[in-house]
Amino acid sequence: MVDAMTDATKVAAAASSRDPAVGLAAVASLRGLLESLEELQVANARSQGWSWQQIAQVLQVSRQAVHKKYRRFGF
Amino acid sequence: MFERFTDKARRAVVAAREDARSRRDDMIRTEHLLMGLFDAPEALAATLLGGYGVDRTVVDAEIERMRRADRPGTDAEKLAILGIDLDEVRRQADEAFGPGALDRTRAARERGGRPRGRHIPFHRASKKALELSLREALRCKHNHIGTEHILLGLLHTETGAAQHILTAHGVTLDGVRAAVADLGRGAASG
Repeated sequence: MVDAMTDATKVAAAASSRDPAVGLAAVASLRGLLESLEELQVANARSQGWSWQQIAQVLQVSRQAVHKKYRRFGF
Repeated sequence: MFERFTDKARRAVVAAREDARSRRDDMIRTEHLLMGLFDAPEALAATLLGGYGVDRTVVDAEIERMRRADRPGTDAEKLAILGIDLDEVRRQADEAFGPGALDRTRAARERGGRPRGRHIPFHRASKKALELSLREALRCKHNHIGTEHILLGLLHTETGAAQHILTAHGVTLDGVRAAVADLGRGAASG
């Protein structure tokens, strides 16, 4: 079942990714999802007492970058 | 710019704005101006277009078709193309952080809730079409701008989607110019 689904997805990807409009829109959606997931994880880390330095290190970005991005969220 | 517009032409422009709003578009595009022309059904543009078999229903269907091509679907559908199952991602996030966690993120809310201000500006191509409608009126030696001149403005190649729809239905700049010239010999403009 899982294999069948994966195959179907692969076929869909192979068929669709040549159309730039489809492929680019998919990447834009992925970027949106990434932002939401990162926000959830950063919020969770902060609520568990992680420092910006620790979060930045694991996210593999600079401390300034992560702090600047999420400071306004009040985490 | 609208001083020389007839009442019907003004009504068409107001209707175009309403059409953009009802389609949740952020700009008044040429296809909205085209739809607006049908809001004054007794006006010349709608009559001329009727002669080509182009009515409100036809244009509405074309606009919807273009939109579906532009926006291939929901985030879930687009992510599936990349092999990502959004429902599964959402389920995992719910499990870890509580129901609706993913959609409650600030990032998600900012994406979804595009603010709907009262003012909807004209798209560049729509401005161009309206400018060209003035030029078309002058060309006809008319000192007012009616819906037929807006239609002519929309028929210029540089004005985008409306021109595309009209051409696909056999409506041409020369054809409408000729029809307007014929009518101009007798009928009042609108």
